[in-house]
Amino acid sequence: MMHILDEIRERFGAEWQNEQRPDLLQIGVQAKTIVPLLTWLKAHTPFVQLTHLSAVDWIEDGEFQLTYLLTDPKAHVSLMVCTRIDREQAEAESIHALWPQAVTYEQEINEMFGIHFPGSPRQGVPFILEGWNDIPPMRRDFDTVAYMNSHHPSRPGREHTDPRAYIGKVFGERGYLHDDD
Amino acid sequence: MDNKPKSTLPVLVEPPKGAQPHGPLGHGYFLGETKRQQALPMRESLAKIKNWFRANSLWVMAYGTGCGGIELRPLTTARFDFERFGMAMRPTPRQSNVIIISGYLAVKSLKRVIRAYEQMPSPKWVVGLGSCTINGGMYWDSYNTINRLDLYVPVDIYIAGCMPRPEALLAGFGELMKMIKRGEANGWNHYLENFDWYKENQKKVINDWNMPDYNW
Amino acid sequence: MTTTETAELRRRVQLWFGPQHPGITGNMSVQAWLEGDTLTAGVTHVGYLHRGFEKLMERRRYIQSFPIVCRICVPEPDTNEYLLAAGLDELSGLAAEVPERGRWIRTLVLEMSRLQMNLMTLGGHIGAMAMGAAPNWLIAMRDFVLDRFEELTGGRIYHMFITYGGVRRDLPEGFAERMEADLEAIEEKLPLVDNVIFDSSVFRKRAIGVGVVPEEWVDEMSLSGPIVRAMGIPRDVRKDFPYEKYPELDFEVVTTTGSDIYARAWVRRQEIAQSIDLIRQILRKMPEGPYCAKLPNMLTWTIPPGQTYVRAEATRGEMGYYVVTDGSDKVRRVHVRAPSYVHGVALLERMIPGTNIADLAPLMVSFQVCPPEMER
Repeated sequence: MMHILDEIRERFGAEWQNEQRPDLLQIGVQAKTIVPLLTWLKAHTPFVQLTHLSAVDWIEDGEFQLTYLLTDPKAHVSLMVCTRIDREQAEAESIHALWPQAVTYEQEINEMFGIHFPGSPRQGVPFILEGWNDIPPMRRDFDTVAYMNSHHPSRPGREHTDPRAYIGKVFGERGYLHDDD
Repeated sequence: MDNKPKSTLPVLVEPPKGAQPHGPLGHGYFLGETKRQQALPMRESLAKIKNWFRANSLWVMAYGTGCGGIELRPLTTARFDFERFGMAMRPTPRQSNVIIISGYLAVKSLKRVIRAYEQMPSPKWVVGLGSCTINGGMYWDSYNTINRLDLYVPVDIYIAGCMPRPEALLAGFGELMKMIKRGEANGWNHYLENFDWYKENQKKVINDWNMPDYNW
Repeated sequence: MTTTETAELRRRVQLWFGPQHPGITGNMSVQAWLEGDTLTAGVTHVGYLHRGFEKLMERRRYIQSFPIVCRICVPEPDTNEYLLAAGLDELSGLAAEVPERGRWIRTLVLEMSRLQMNLMTLGGHIGAMAMGAAPNWLIAMRDFVLDRFEELTGGRIYHMFITYGGVRRDLPEGFAERMEADLEAIEEKLPLVDNVIFDSSVFRKRAIGVGVVPEEWVDEMSLSGPIVRAMGIPRDVRKDFPYEKYPELDFEVVTTTGSDIYARAWVRRQEIAQSIDLIRQILRKMPEGPYCAKLPNMLTWTIPPGQTYVRAEATRGEMGYYVVTDGSDKVRRVHVRAPSYVHGVALLERMIPGTNIADLAPLMVSFQVCPPEMER
């Protein structure tokens, strides 16, 4: 199935490609080619199902990664299309016209990462959170412990220990390492 | 790595100390009443009888707020069968007097739980199920779950575990029945006596408060 | 206000189905609009169970993530454990080292988990129509499986049993015989259940021809699981994307036609029989040997950067994990592709217009909407 990746590279250009497993191909493309690429894939190739849509925060690069997972239900192969968008102006084109269930994915990514999909019907409508007034929680710079400390008081007396630090304290600095490490 | 909670906690007001102590037999307020009724000898014996009846017909609201709801099904059906003890699941808060907070409580759920709790007729009891209701459990660092249930609703009894087995639940309910018979399960009175304190805590964590403020 | 307007207002009623409702499949709600007793529109609301697992996993080491993922779907936790383990195995290269017996025990646990979930859902099918006998029996049968889980893993509901590199423990002595006894006890009572469910005129009247999902929606919305198999399409991740030891097992994908609530209940009933058969096959073929690879030090283990998507067949449909690692000792991102995410929001909202209000609960049970996996 390597030829589908070559065809995508010729038609739309690709930044990288990878065969993770025989049934899972990966390709990285420019953000502006996403919608033409997915439209072409849905219309002219057997990759007709949108299985998953996800986002990853690469805060050190200042970018978000969007991952579209398409599946060929006949030949049982999946194609993972990845793209990077700018973290400051987080905006990507919506694909809800191609697959109706993408609305839910885009709504959740909008809420959890703050990535805006113009034109998608439920942008800005709360999906999971209610009355949220902080930065979107799945961003890497959102500190969940600090938020918990300032919003959800806990019962006095609870101690938190990091396992590695604790074992180091009890058994000496290298105590957490096995002899053969 | 130091994961200890910093001292940035909002200082929560403890419940005011001047409130009347709970009576030993747990007869509560009527709506509009501001002071606890004097416990007359006649009322004492009557309350004892009433508490005995109450303890033997606990009606539980069918609301699985968290993962613990999955163990309520074996509990209510043939194998563990809690109807032996006069308990039954009821579909609406208006017909029930026990609410089980079955595990962690997301902030969005907390709002509905408060609403349901306030709709239940007195006397009513709250059972906190699982470690997460006691102190956050394994979700102690989550941004969306509360850590201490008793700041928001008055908890009469906790059943620890993650998740507690149906036998543990039965033991917990047995203990709750004993407490009711002794007149010790008085969370509903505590809620009325410290209503402002509870409301203040609830409003601290629920950001868009659009529920009616009952004039109790 | 004119009389027509008043009449129009009176015809439209907004109804919140859940979160506190005995017919809802967990802690979620459907905001529905009614005309008479027919639903005209509906919006699914989730978030009542959101714990932020994907965020919490970014703060925990790989081994510490396993107690978290099993709580993503409460009634069927093992699929989640397996998927995280499979993703980490693949990205770290441990996959080649997982011993044979470990893989067979994983398959056993996955199949036991499917069995108990299907038993419970079949009870839910008839319970949503307010009939109490069959759920009582089916949940008692499920408890037989839970007892074996307890013996094997130490927990009734949450097992935390499958980890990267294999499983946590070997099968106890005499496990196969006790499992066989339980399977026989379940098989013995299943005809009774059939009698009460599939021969019941009430169930037939309320399930046949109700909640028909059109076949065109399958690829359009990437539906999976019993919803698709009830249309006669033999689509099953265990066959299509074989994992663990399923290629070595002998089974056919269960299909039927009709695509209604009755057909989906029938698929579940057949899958119970299939799971019982598969568990017997697995226990027969179980080889001797180690059950877990030699694991790296869990406190210092790092996984090289990479991303993958692994999938497995939960009882509700295709469940998948998108796992991204960045070379550190914590996972970069885990995103759960839950079957209910599509079935409970997009599909349900599309099915609601025209449905009778009394059919909403059976419809949701037949989609097996599981709220905790929709919001994690």
